[in-house]
Amino acid sequence: MISTEQLYQTLQQRFGFSRFRPGQLEALTALTAKHNTLAVLPTGAGKTLIYELYGAITQQLVLIVSPLISLMQDQVTTLNVKGEKRAAALTSMMTYSEKNWILRHLHEYHFIFISPEMLSQDQVLSAFQSTQIGLLVVDEAHCISTWGPDFRPEYLLLGQIRHQLHDPLTLMATATATERVREDIKQKLQLPQATEIVQPVDRQNIFLSVERFEAQTDKEERLVELVAKLKKPGVVYFSSKKKANEMAELLAAKTDCKVAAYHADLDSETRFKVQQQFMQDQLDVICATSAFGMGIDKNNVRFVIHYHVPSDVESYWQEIGRAGRDGQQSVAILLYQAGDEQIAAFLSEETVPQENEIHYYFQQNAPQVAGDEKANLIWFYKQHGYSEAQVQNSFASRREQRVTALRKMMGYVRTPDCKRQYIQQYFDQVQDVATNPEHCCSSDEAQLDFGVLGLLATATPAQSDQSSAEWPAILKQLFNF
Amino acid sequence: MDATQLMRFLSPTSPRRLRVIENILVGKRTVSTLYWGMRYHQLSWLGYEKKLSREVMDQAVHNLQTEGLVTVEQTNAQLTQQGAVEQQKLLQNSYQPQHLKIRLVVDVETFWQRLLLATQVVSEQSYQNRQYYPLQTSWQVKQTVKRWFRQFHGADLQTVFYNFWQDVFADLPSDQASFMSRLLVGHERPGDTLQQVSRDFQMSETEARLMEVDLICQLAKLVSQAANSSINALLAGLNHSLVSASANQTLRSFMAGESLEVISRKRSLKLSTVREHLLEAAIMLPLEQFDYQRILTPELVAQLESRLNGFPLDEWQFKQVEDLPVDFWQFRLLEILRSKKADDKH
Repeated sequence: MISTEQLYQTLQQRFGFSRFRPGQLEALTALTAKHNTLAVLPTGAGKTLIYELYGAITQQLVLIVSPLISLMQDQVTTLNVKGEKRAAALTSMMTYSEKNWILRHLHEYHFIFISPEMLSQDQVLSAFQSTQIGLLVVDEAHCISTWGPDFRPEYLLLGQIRHQLHDPLTLMATATATERVREDIKQKLQLPQATEIVQPVDRQNIFLSVERFEAQTDKEERLVELVAKLKKPGVVYFSSKKKANEMAELLAAKTDCKVAAYHADLDSETRFKVQQQFMQDQLDVICATSAFGMGIDKNNVRFVIHYHVPSDVESYWQEIGRAGRDGQQSVAILLYQAGDEQIAAFLSEETVPQENEIHYYFQQNAPQVAGDEKANLIWFYKQHGYSEAQVQNSFASRREQRVTALRKMMGYVRTPDCKRQYIQQYFDQVQDVATNPEHCCSSDEAQLDFGVLGLLATATPAQSDQSSAEWPAILKQLFNF
Repeated sequence: MDATQLMRFLSPTSPRRLRVIENILVGKRTVSTLYWGMRYHQLSWLGYEKKLSREVMDQAVHNLQTEGLVTVEQTNAQLTQQGAVEQQKLLQNSYQPQHLKIRLVVDVETFWQRLLLATQVVSEQSYQNRQYYPLQTSWQVKQTVKRWFRQFHGADLQTVFYNFWQDVFADLPSDQASFMSRLLVGHERPGDTLQQVSRDFQMSETEARLMEVDLICQLAKLVSQAANSSINALLAGLNHSLVSASANQTLRSFMAGESLEVISRKRSLKLSTVREHLLEAAIMLPLEQFDYQRILTPELVAQLESRLNGFPLDEWQFKQVEDLPVDFWQFRLLEILRSKKADDKH
């Protein structure tokens, strides 16, 4: 049995911290007592540390099921940077022989990241069956829940796969989950008895603001004004790549700030550069789609602005969670223009196949076009023995859920009451109003001067010493001459 | 691809096939694409923009049309008089690539990823820093650079790289040296994105990318000639042949004297495929590396030429000779031969 003292020791030695963040010690204590655990910790609370420390202390293989390839690679890199070289991501980007090499050398690794699709392949599964797994981590566990906004059908197989892996100790981790989603996660993973560690999702240091506009030009002007006057760095979220690009140009032209766009269309070199410029305070503002954020660990983001309405409260909360990780005062501002919810409704509905599409794909064999997500989705169900009627039903209720989810999001936008309370209610974590921060939300203080929060820009924008340098200076700096 | 870039590929004197221009950029190696790509002097652009979509292409055409710079008939486009003037301006005022051809024999994209990552690794080594975020590259590139670093890390890479880049930049015009140096990544230097550099140099992103690719091609050439083994090693395994692997195999058998029928049987290929392979090789390779006479006997050439002489090459029609004992592919081969003899600029 691992003692609390050992946990603290490892925390100090490996991570250089003397204190755990809320929820981390509780989750580790449950795991070391061999309890399967569902940890709901807000974004930035350090979920990764839990399994990293567990792996370090037990010296056993930690297998992390994760939904996004880009995220997995980031996670491996982060571990590498911290000095953990025995980490790898098994992804579809690898060639057959690379994958095989890792599968044959599983015992040499401490951390392996894998997608549920990859893990369900026979060859991969059988490799893991003959290895001792110290801890199975289901990251972004809300993806397993049909009630979660990022539902992925392959996650449904995980309950079964877990048995095939001889029921290893399991950590389910997610940032935001309502009570219903938590129940659903446990049920789908067939772990009804799992210990729950739930931390309040509320972030007291983020002032919550919603502003309404009648015309798009007003909204754009306001965005320019906010970006110019607010303390940086900040992130502005958009629901389209095109708009993110356009506004990045506009903001660069109309303010003194260094601005860059960030989305899935960028090549990996550009993405790396934008990320690192931002991390090293050489960029003031990032205009992003939801692709940005995963794996970015920047503590001093002072504002998160949403130019479009997200399609559910979970996504919104996850995204504004990038603000104020250092605990300092920050602000989340949602710019709403009447009719914006139609864009959100369209985007939200677009991902769920319609009746006629389901029918069409059900008649087809294996997907013809690589990357046809809807075809793949239907194919998944067909392959796993679902009838068309079952699939029709389940997508019909899924569409309904998406509509409800957006309605809840719009509830947040429209409520004249406390925004913070609205969120607490949504996540079934109602707190006494007396615990609210002094400056809470725009429902109380619609015309709040951001100066009161200490959020007005004072310093000059990020230094752009990079661009002014000539090549001889750049070379001297690069190679320390 | 934008409208300006498209103008580069068009001509004021004859209509050009938009699908050929598109297919060359996307990198389709069909004989007809390659043939016309050769005629348009566009072969060095083969596969330059693999992700080019029809939508983007159509938009570029549409823009030129609205500005009155091209006329389009079906899917052929020709520059108008005003278009020709604009094209001249473009050729004078924007970056003109010189080295794209090397792309056909070297995987320059992977080369750049390796060089960029190696530069970062050496830069961090110069500061004895081991904890940093490496550039995100493909698994293969990462492994290669890891092995490379293990092999050479004791070889004073700091000085080698400093001198290498110094030589490169000193030989370039200063704006190009400055442009490229800003793309580099290293210790406490995340590097500028292409967009950021293009903004500061007041170029379109399309033009900036062209300049970047051309500079990388130039670098690849330099590195292949570099005396230093550590720098040189970054090119290992990135050479490929001008013709596709399968066509190359056909070509070797052909040049060894085997008949087309024998090649077809041995390789279980259709005869038409064997012919296409040979045409591809003829288009891509220098004149002297293909044995034209084995297919085009002097008598046949004389017969064909008696009909075709006096017509510009691009107006030759198979119809003019189809009653002669000649197949279309032989006719095409003669076209290739003529094209190469007249101007072998590609």
